[in-house]
Amino acid sequence: MGDEFEPKILGFTCNWCTYAGADLAGTSRIQYPPNIRIIRVMCSGRMDPLFVIKALTNGADGVFMGGCHPGDCHYTKGNYYARRRIVALREVLKAFGLDERVRLRWISASEGPQFAEEVTKMVEDMKKLGPNPLKEETV
Amino acid sequence: MVKCVEVGDAGLNDLFKGLLSSGAVDGLVVPQKSGKSVIYTLIADPEKIKNPVPFAPSFGFNAANSLRKWLIEDKILGVVFKPCEARAVNELIKLEQINPDAILLISVDCEGTFKNEDYTANADKIGDKLTGNIEGVELRAACTMCETKLGEIGDLGIAYMGLGGTTVIALNDKGEAALSKVEGLAIEDKEIDRSSLKAEIKSAGSAGRETLKKELERVNEPLKLLEVLNDCIVCKNCRDMCPVCYCKECFFEQPLGNPHGGDLLHIADTRGDVRIPPYSLFYHLTRAYHVCVTCVSCGACEDACPKGLPLTLIYPVVAKNVQDVFEYVPGADLEEPLPLTTYEEDELEPR
Repeated sequence: MGDEFEPKILGFTCNWCTYAGADLAGTSRIQYPPNIRIIRVMCSGRMDPLFVIKALTNGADGVFMGGCHPGDCHYTKGNYYARRRIVALREVLKAFGLDERVRLRWISASEGPQFAEEVTKMVEDMKKLGPNPLKEETV
Repeated sequence: MVKCVEVGDAGLNDLFKGLLSSGAVDGLVVPQKSGKSVIYTLIADPEKIKNPVPFAPSFGFNAANSLRKWLIEDKILGVVFKPCEARAVNELIKLEQINPDAILLISVDCEGTFKNEDYTANADKIGDKLTGNIEGVELRAACTMCETKLGEIGDLGIAYMGLGGTTVIALNDKGEAALSKVEGLAIEDKEIDRSSLKAEIKSAGSAGRETLKKELERVNEPLKLLEVLNDCIVCKNCRDMCPVCYCKECFFEQPLGNPHGGDLLHIADTRGDVRIPPYSLFYHLTRAYHVCVTCVSCGACEDACPKGLPLTLIYPVVAKNVQDVFEYVPGADLEEPLPLTTYEEDELEPR
């Protein structure tokens, strides 16, 4: 390890699916990198793109968002709205080279291994991408 | 077949007077010439219509901005707007900022506009109507990518491009009813087909858009964007003059988005340093997202910027990309819901 770049990733997970999935990954003792800091929100529909932009401008290397699979939302349609918002947000960020640092994944409460896999993959990708250039800047 | 009247440029004065005196509208917003400049006027007395210039290619601000919170119920306001302003009105109706029953929306053909100060300085050269290029004066960047130059938005359209003379077209029943109230108009049924002109405008617009997209590439990295925003003084004038940035309580006016005093020191403590005024990058990225589906690409943001930042790139050009994803043209269709207020179960995968 030593001097290798360790990305800081902010995670927003929905209370009903992805947070439980992350919990399952933990209780099942599945190994995944500790680079992700999770904030639990009640629904993926609660994830205001403002959160993502604030995290990125504050120097987060990546923002991971998780929600229930389409059709499984505890509130019926929160994840559908989230999907549209995040697609729009990523399209905006694409113009400024920040879109690859943002991703939205569907992970159910029973998908502990998938959660670990997605986080591992994201950490690998962020390592390849390098640190967020805004981290060292005065913003 | 559409109901229309060929009035000619000279007949517009009588048309506007007629709309007011017949009671079709209680007030009329129309651009008029004042000295060498074009000003917007809200007129209640028909006699005050002196020198209307609806086609004058001058753009100072998006007049739909002044109509936000137009929620009265018992009066009708007629507005003579350029297509981008008319589309902003439609978006504001969808956002429930304008009562659609209190508006008679009249859109005019627009071949592109100049900044209002450029227009005033070259008024003699340009005239009241744009015909071809004007040497030495550049069109506004937003106009070079415009794909909706025809007055086909709202209730009435005032058209001249591709037609023999200036013609008033009823675009729906409401427009027809208003038109029939005006005395002395010979309303006729006519076939008006401007589809080839439309296609021409569209291809010219997309060519202009490609040029601007190339320019956008100069901010395609976070640090490049930050460098462009170095000159921003976070006056938020781009927000205030934006017709569709309508929030009553903007996040960037609240303590969290506009930190002062100890809050500011706290941020500096956490990060090590902070710009003053804070959050220029955060503000612009958030605003780019907030207007991304409703932006009518009028370019009022760039005109409003006191520091001359290339905001047409950061707002309209980026927003167009997002609107392409949802195949949405803001303000074109009043019935079409805003993309972020609706969804389909099977779409946009993988994200």
